Parts: sequence; structure tokens; C-alpha cells
Amino acid sequence: MQRAFSTLKRLLSIQIRSQLQYPLSFIMDVIGNALILGFYFIAFTFALSQFEGISGWTLGEVAFIWGITEFSFGVMDMLFSGFDYDSFGPVIRKGRFDQMLLRPVNITLQVLGSRFVLRRLGKVLEGLLIFIFGLSQLDIHWTLIKILYVPVLSISQVLFFGSLFIIGATTTFWTMERLEILNIFTYGGSEIMSYPMHIFPRPIRLIFTFLVPAIFLSYFPAVFILGKSDPLHAPKFVSFIAPLVAVLMMFLALRFWHYGIRNYQSTGS
Amino acid sequence: MKPIIQVNNLRKTFKIYHNHKGFFGAIRNLFDRKYDLIHAVDNISFEVYPGELVGYIGPNGAGKSTTIKMLTGLLVPTNGEINVNGYLPWKERKDYVKDIGAVFGQRTTLWWDLPLTDSFDLLKHIYDIPHDVFQKNFHLFNEILGLDEFIRTPVRSLSLGQRMRADLCAALLHNPSLVFLDEPTIGLDVVAKQRIRDFIQFINQEKGTTILLTTHDLSDVAKLCERVMIIDHGKILFDGNLNSLLQEFGGSRQLSVEFTEFYPQPLLTNAAIIQRNGNKVVYSFEREVVSASNLINELSDHYRIKDLEVRDQPIEDTIRRIYEDRLLYN
Amino acid sequence: MKAFLATINISFRRQLTYRAANLSGLVTNLMFAFFRASVFIALYHQQTVINNLSVKDAITFAGLTQMLIGYLSVFHWYEMAHTVYDGQVGTDLLKPLNFFLYWLSVDIGRAMGSFLIRSLPLFVVFAFFYDITLPQSLLQWGFCMLSMLLALLISFGWRFMVNLAAFWTPNAIGIGRFAFGLSWIFSGFYMPLAFFPDWLAQFSRATPFGASIYIPIQIFLGNVQGGALLQSLFIQCFWIATLWILDHIILGCGVRKLVIQGG
Repeated sequence: MQRAFSTLKRLLSIQIRSQLQYPLSFIMDVIGNALILGFYFIAFTFALSQFEGISGWTLGEVAFIWGITEFSFGVMDMLFSGFDYDSFGPVIRKGRFDQMLLRPVNITLQVLGSRFVLRRLGKVLEGLLIFIFGLSQLDIHWTLIKILYVPVLSISQVLFFGSLFIIGATTTFWTMERLEILNIFTYGGSEIMSYPMHIFPRPIRLIFTFLVPAIFLSYFPAVFILGKSDPLHAPKFVSFIAPLVAVLMMFLALRFWHYGIRNYQSTGS
Repeated sequence: MKPIIQVNNLRKTFKIYHNHKGFFGAIRNLFDRKYDLIHAVDNISFEVYPGELVGYIGPNGAGKSTTIKMLTGLLVPTNGEINVNGYLPWKERKDYVKDIGAVFGQRTTLWWDLPLTDSFDLLKHIYDIPHDVFQKNFHLFNEILGLDEFIRTPVRSLSLGQRMRADLCAALLHNPSLVFLDEPTIGLDVVAKQRIRDFIQFINQEKGTTILLTTHDLSDVAKLCERVMIIDHGKILFDGNLNSLLQEFGGSRQLSVEFTEFYPQPLLTNAAIIQRNGNKVVYSFEREVVSASNLINELSDHYRIKDLEVRDQPIEDTIRRIYEDRLLYN
Repeated sequence: MKAFLATINISFRRQLTYRAANLSGLVTNLMFAFFRASVFIALYHQQTVINNLSVKDAITFAGLTQMLIGYLSVFHWYEMAHTVYDGQVGTDLLKPLNFFLYWLSVDIGRAMGSFLIRSLPLFVVFAFFYDITLPQSLLQWGFCMLSMLLALLISFGWRFMVNLAAFWTPNAIGIGRFAFGLSWIFSGFYMPLAFFPDWLAQFSRATPFGASIYIPIQIFLGNVQGGALLQSLFIQCFWIATLWILDHIILGCGVRKLVIQGG
């Protein structure tokens, strides 16, 4: 187990060193990214300040939920980018996956370590800033449970998004084409999760409750922490099942992933 | 001695699906898909013993890479037994690959953006190679392969010959018992090829590493392998000594003679003239019909010879004849 | 001339063959259009008009921006840069075709194809679900079509310029990320410029990004009429000219560099 982590660490450091090979490019990339996100954040505050709130939620409350989601998505994107189609597609196509199978290292670990996108830190920071901004606008009635739940929620979100990435990568075993539809659940999911979900029409809400359980990882927890009233009239306990849902999703994703690998070994590339 | 590779009645069958065309075809695909069965590897059996250097050849699409993939654990067989180094390759992957090495001529096993030495360090960690073993092997290989000059160069900047040498070294650092070489000399110039061949021979003889060599370069096979296996259409056509194969199917040989003077009609029994250039004549003859020594005797009886040479049919021609004329098929 | 029409034709047909990708993109864009529309509806809960943009306009805006994604290749386009990296550009430059016009033709074909198979169906389906603003007169439709065409020419000019970076750096895509990102913010793509403070909105409208995305949308919504409309079209033409001239200059430098320094 310890060896596994040390191997992963080495693989990741290779990624980082590779990116630092082109220092000028890298710096421009990071700065550029930061600027873009900065502008976006400013645009967001400009825009939302025109409105009194969104369907009963104040600017601060939206910023709270938006910030956490963006932060978690950014963290996930850094950790799981090996499973991103842009990275994993070429790994399969160019035969590098076979190379991985020939090494005495856990396959999942190798894929995790195959890419680490440093510049995503920009998104992580932006999410943090928006979250802090939201906090500054709010007057939350903090309890110990609420304080503990915030990091738990974030970690759950990371696992949740990560599982979607893993599922996306697994589909690459069967189809060489990028399934753009999956973006609806990853990027779309993170966008939806940034707003109070009751603003979305019923069909969309149903998809993001029962197909991809995003609602349990943002809306209901936020309802609890922010002390909002819930027009959906869901039972109280659903606010707390975020970690459960996340772990379940990750478990299912990994089963699917291993099934995909076995299938790959049966049918060749 | 137990064989290091044991393969019995091994089969791999692929389904190639027919896709219906068009939009409605896509829907039909979900319910009714027709397919062809391709027997890429069709009931093959063989054994390889430790220390052997075996050539594994066959035309494109013969089933070579499918066999290698099954031997390396990348592919699950449809049927049959396969046991390599005491493991069932695909099932016990992580333990199995600790003791094997692989080099693929077409692509590198190393990390693209990093200096070569970093790749080796990573391998040292991945294969858990003890420090002294790593140092010893590295210095040994470095001496023979001359890696020092580019040890700090990123792999992406290496020339083909350099990369191939690096890949070979990488595959052997952990002292594997068995190594798979797939097209290790492809695209290399004559000097580079020889260097790689010498190294392969060295590894096989000095370390007793079992080597399975897949290649289209038949001079590789001729120079390195005593034993060769030929596969085509999924079946093993031949498994044995290369020389006896060449002798049996070697077909025509050539006798190249330079006379001291010009002879208008230097005929020989059982030999045909295929080239003339002043005093130089090239004859072609079938080894089953007449022996070279008989021809030479006949020549020296009738003509005055300055120089002569006996050439075998190039191995490429022999193998080609075997494929094209289906000489080994029954 | 015939060669360029042929190129447009080929590129157009090629785009149509990407059925799975286009369908996939269509569904994705549609979903995002629904998301954005929902957000606008919720935002407008208390108000009905912001800076001349009604809630109906905002919903239409959500649909229109998604439509433009495929048509204007809003998120990324690195085809030309790739030919520089794999050496194909060398062969292309040897052909008796104007390099810039060649890529322009390829892009026009692609855009037409994408518009037909992705943008149009998307908008039709979207219109089915929501009550949207439509151009009121034939003349307005005409101006809108014109503006859309001009938008494509601006977008191409910008994307081509970003790709030109490939002649100088192996990481044009990294630079591209920044460049494209810039275009999203100032184009009013994520957020209608009407939500921005006045000074920012004016500034953005004047950029090539605003000119390629926001102006056609405004014309469609009927938010600009008469003199203002003509002024908008003029801004678009200005950017086409500016970008294309810059493209030619930079391309010249790039080709010279390529020829002198080699691959």
C-alpha cells in the first residue's frame, strides 16, 4: 500500500516535471488561466449584483454553493485528469495502455499518475475565493456538524466527479469517439450543482436525482447548512447522505472500470 | 528441465461485427448483429525451454502479435492452456510481469519527456531492483550499448537507434528470465542492427535469458536463432531448426564463377546460366538435383577458373516461397 | 475560385459525416441551453427587464449562444496548428492555393455543415420548449443572416491568428486556451453583456469577440435597430478587415520563419 503511494508520487512528479519542461509556456498558461477565471468571477459578481437573488436564494448563498462545487471540481480535475478523455483517449489509441499492463504496478494507479494538470489550481483557487465571498455575505448559524460537513461535502464531491470521469474513460474501451454527451453530466453536472436545484424544470431535476445523483451532493446539503426552506419537500435525512452517495458512485465506477479492462483484455484493441 | 513457456491447444477467436448502415441501421445494430469469426490463433502448441533464443515469424496477419499478446498477458485466450514462467499471464498479471521484459520496435516503453536516466530510475523503483543489481546491470549494458552519450537526453529527442538501445537496456535492468522482442531492429541502419544483435546474443548467452524474437527481418533470425517457429493463418507451420528448414526448402543455389578467359559457351550439366558479364558467369542450380562440389569438379575439368563463390538462396526468398507456395501447409 | 468552392463543398460534406459527434454535440448543447434558460427564468423572478433585455430575450439568448458553439467553433479550433506540428503545412504551402483562403474555405464548409446538422435542429427543438423572441420582419431576418455570416468571418480571423502561434511555439494550444478564454468573457457568451455595467458592456461589444457573438444575437432579438444596427454591422466589418490584415502579415512572417529555419 505504501509502495503504491510512493509509485504514484513518482509518476505524478514526472508529470509535473514534464510540464515544467516548457517554463515560459507553463507560466503563461497558469497566468492566463488565472486571469480568465478572475475575469469570470468578476463578471459573475457584476451580473448577479443586478438581481436580488435567484428564486429565493441570495447572492451570498449562491456563491457559497457555487464556490464549493467549483473548488471540488477543480481538485478532482487535478487528481483524475488521467481519466479525462483528452488524456485517456490517446493512451488507448497509441498503445500506451498495453505498456501499462506490462508493468508490475496497479493499472488504476498508473492511469491516475499518467496526467496531473497543475494549471487547474486556478480553478481550485477561484472556487475558494467565491466560497469565501459567499461566506462574507452570509450569516450562517454554525454548528459543529455544519462545520465538519463542509469539508466532508467537498471530498464527497471530488469522489462524485471523479467517478464520472472514470465512467467516461471506461466507455473509451468500447468507442474511440469522445462521448460528448457525458459532458452533460460532468461539466453540466457541476454547473447545475452551482445553483439551487429547485430552479430547474422537473425532468432535469429527475435526471440529476435518479440518474446522476448530483442533487444529494449540493442542493440538499446546502439546504441544511444554509438553513433554507426546501420547496421540494424532501425528507430531512437526504441532506446527509452525500458521502454515502459519493462512495457508492465511486464503487460502481471502479467496478465498471475493472469490467472495462477485463473486456479490453478479452477482445484486444 | 521444465519449459518456461508451455502452450497447449491455444486458440484465440475474434468476432468481427457487421455494422448495418445508416441511421436506422444504427438501431438495428442494437438488436441484430451479424458477425464473422476470425481464428487469429488456431490450436497451436509449443514449448520453449529456459535459455533458448527462438524466432517467431510469419506474414502480416498470421497471428504473431495475437500470440505474443496472450503470452504477455495482454489478451485472454479463447481456449487452451498457457503457462509462462509458472504463471497464467493474463490472470496473474502483476506478479507475472515482474519477471519478464518486453521491447516493441514500433514504440517506446520509456517516458517521453524525461531524460533517459530518470526513466531508468523510475524503472528501478517500479521493479524493486536492488541498488547493486541495478548499478551492475546498468554499467554492463552501458558499456556494450554506449548509452552514456545520451543518458541525459529526453527520450523524445533520441534518434531511432538510440531509442532502441535505451529500450533494450530498460527491458533488461531487472534481470527478467524471459524477454519478448518485437521488431527490435526495425528501421535501423546496418551498423545499428548489428549492435543490437550482438547485444541480444550477449544477453542470451551470458545471462541465460530466454528470448522470443518476433521480426520481419529474416537476417536477424538467421544470425541469432537456431530454432524458429513459423505461423500463418493462426497455425504453426514449422517449429524446429532453421538450417534444416533452409536446407529442405532452400531451393536454388547460385554458383558465381570468374574465368581466366572468355568462354563463349561455358555450359554445365544440371545448371543454368542466369547472368553473364565478360568473364564472370552466374549459374543457378537445384540442391536436390546436383551438389555444389560436383559442379565445381565439372567446371575445373573443362575450364580455367580464377575465382568462384557458392551462394544460398537468400533466406527471404525461401520464406517467401514457403508463404506463397504454401509449402508447409497440409 | 472554383477550387475554393470545391473546398467549401468538401469540408461541408465532411462535417455532415460526423453524425455521431454532431448528434452528441446537439444533445449536449440543448441540455446546456435548458440549464441556462432555467437560470435566467429564476433570476428574472423579481424583475422583467434588465438593460433592455427581457426574460424572453434572455431565454432566447440561452438558445442562441448554444447554437453558435458548433457554428463558430467557440471552444477550440486547432486544425491549422496541428498541420504545422505534423509537418503537413509544408505540403499545403506548396499547393497552388492561397493558404489563408484555403483555410477560410475549409472553415466556411465546416460552419455551414455544423449549422445545418447541429445548430438549426437545436434551435428548432429549443423553440418548441420555450417561448422565444424572433425577428419581426423579413428585413430583420436578412440583417441577422448577414451578421451571422460576418460573425463567422471574424471568428475565423481570430482563430486563425491563434493558430499562427504554432509557427513560433510548440505550445500554441496553451496560448490558445488563454486566447479562447478571453473570447468567452468579452463576447457575452456566458453572460449577456446586458448584465455587465455599462462601460464594460460597451467595451466588450467593441471587441472582435463581442462582434462575433453578441452583435448577431442583439440583431436577432431586435435590440438594435436602424442606425445602431448599421453601426454594429460596421464594427463587424471593421474587425474582419483588421483581423484578416493582421493574419496575412503574421502568416507572412511565419512562413518566412518556416522556410528559413526548417520544420
